[in-house]
Amino acid sequence: MRFVSIVFALMLGISIFAIPQNDAIAFTEQQISRGAYGDDVIELQARLQYLGFYKSKIDGKFGYNTYWALRIFQEKYGLPVDGVAGAKTKKALSGYSDYDEGWVKAQLNAGNQFTYYGGIPLERQVKTNTGGGGGGGNSSGSSNNNGTKTQVPPKYTDRDIQLMANAVYGEARGEPYEGQVAVAAVILNRLESPEFPNTISGIIFQPLAFTAVADGQIWLEPNERAKEAVLDAMNGWDPSENALYYFNPKTATSKWIWSRPQIKRIGEHIFCS
Amino acid sequence: MRTMLVILTAAVIGLGAYSINMHGKNVSLQRTVLAQYTDNLTDASEKLSHLQRSVSQSLLFRDDNAIHNELDSVWRLSSDVRSSMSNIPIGQEMSNDWLSYLGRLGDEAKKTAETGDYEAWREKMPQISTNLQSLSDDWSAATVDFYKNNGKMDVWLRQVDTKNPNTTFDNVQKTLKDYSEKDFPLTLSESDWQKKIELKALQDSVITEKEALEKVKQLFPILKDATFTVTKSSDTAPYPFYHIQFHQDIRLGYVDLTEKGGHLISYLVERPVDEARLSQDEIMKKAEENVKRLGMSDVAFVESRENHQAWHVTFARVHPGDNALVYADGVQLKLAKDTGELLGVNAMEYIQAETIKPQTAKPIDWKTFFDDDVKVQEVRNIYTDNGSYEQRLCYEVIAVRDKNAQETFRIVIDAENHNVLKVEYLT
Repeated sequence: MRFVSIVFALMLGISIFAIPQNDAIAFTEQQISRGAYGDDVIELQARLQYLGFYKSKIDGKFGYNTYWALRIFQEKYGLPVDGVAGAKTKKALSGYSDYDEGWVKAQLNAGNQFTYYGGIPLERQVKTNTGGGGGGGNSSGSSNNNGTKTQVPPKYTDRDIQLMANAVYGEARGEPYEGQVAVAAVILNRLESPEFPNTISGIIFQPLAFTAVADGQIWLEPNERAKEAVLDAMNGWDPSENALYYFNPKTATSKWIWSRPQIKRIGEHIFCS
Repeated sequence: MRTMLVILTAAVIGLGAYSINMHGKNVSLQRTVLAQYTDNLTDASEKLSHLQRSVSQSLLFRDDNAIHNELDSVWRLSSDVRSSMSNIPIGQEMSNDWLSYLGRLGDEAKKTAETGDYEAWREKMPQISTNLQSLSDDWSAATVDFYKNNGKMDVWLRQVDTKNPNTTFDNVQKTLKDYSEKDFPLTLSESDWQKKIELKALQDSVITEKEALEKVKQLFPILKDATFTVTKSSDTAPYPFYHIQFHQDIRLGYVDLTEKGGHLISYLVERPVDEARLSQDEIMKKAEENVKRLGMSDVAFVESRENHQAWHVTFARVHPGDNALVYADGVQLKLAKDTGELLGVNAMEYIQAETIKPQTAKPIDWKTFFDDDVKVQEVRNIYTDNGSYEQRLCYEVIAVRDKNAQETFRIVIDAENHNVLKVEYLT
């Protein structure tokens, strides 16, 4: 029995030392799992793709595709299968794969379509992009300087956040933060209402619906604050308290809008149902 | 002097040419937009006639297949007219009424096709068909003026803005409103849903402004020294609440509390956020602590999302009867990535609290329910809306298609009748 234990301990030791030590200190020490986002996730996805487990876009978002790929890796390499990238998993992954951080980040920042499979020259895995998605493509304003885009609830897209941020910035950039979230919430409340078009684009560009569309201010480049406001609204916040309309009493010309039941005032806007 | 005159003349000629050019471009642009609006208007009017005919035709058949085809046309055409109507500048109120009427007609056709309750359709539709014919005729008469505007956008917009109460256009609007109420009255479930979102169920006693402020300081101790501005909701708001704005050091934000009982509706702070210092695990622990501290101990974790500055974490109430998650009774928290400070709480859905009717769950054999290359990974019981404002007990299935495990779906299936209520593609 003692002999078996010694042999087992020896085998375990050998297997740990047998992990190639390519890049063991590349990851941060943080444990990451579903919902995480950022540099560590980019590295995780790239390394999993290098080994052939991850076949989706490298986008820095730890979603289900990353989760299954990680679980398969853990299973194949005899690690506890939990879909969590902890210290052991990261160490094993670093040992068995290479990660060229500079190259991956450069592709993300350039918005290129690319993959990162091991054994294939990198120059053959990249397609220069001039916009749109693919390979963690990063050409829209909703991305940060690491090339990762914003994480939104599944029913929304990066396009939605961009379009809504434009609308919020054009309509309410001088308003307090809660006023900006409220404007975004009004757009989303309209999406749920049978009285309005059933897409975000349809709502924003409905003729005569938004002043910013009529005067062209919707095309101004939105700032991070407007994007954050949209993100909060998409995650459920509604400072307008279920409003479907808002107006500025100093500039409103429609008599009809005054007939709507008012809910509250935030900054220069009155919100109503 | 002579040189000045030459320069001035050249400038005037240049400006004049530029102005003529710009004017020409503007007129051309206006004509293009007007042409598109007119096209949408024509399209809407024509399809409205088709829709009326399709509703009428649906009443011809006893044969299931034949009626099914007509229901499909009603659903498709109502969606098409809806889309055209939403793309013409006809005033918000008129647009709302049209979209609502057409949407309800389409939903009715879809529901009938799904449930096979053709008798109810046959009973209801003769009157709707007549009303739709009358609406279609009125609409054609009312919009005829829009074709007589000599290609000028301002004439069109004047037509929309007219305040004369006797115009044919206003008559359409009045008839539309009237028919909407008669043809598609609120169902019991819709009425219950309306009451729920208007917080009619809250029976607690009213709290004062001072008590509301105390409650805020108790819920969010970080604000104990903040400067507050308290306002009350408008008299016409569906439910009365206190809107409390605050300023504390680097923090600016608001809290909304119901006047009845001082229930937390939402809280949101804006402050600069430094680089992330806490791990995902630490953030989740803080989220769990906060949700309990706020008195919501009957909830369970659903999902989390990390972004540039903060984590958004979602919880849902656990139904005491069967431990299924009630998604409609959700709570969302926002936590700063630097310190884990609570930056936001959204408890609106939580305080609306759904009334859940008892339901049974019939087991499903996943091997026969899904295709061979689909692997079921996770199943949990949840309550969710079935699209008709009813909370249904469902199986929430996370399934992966193809052996490479790269396509993940979330499928929500009614646990009693096994109808698929929702399919989402997850990345």
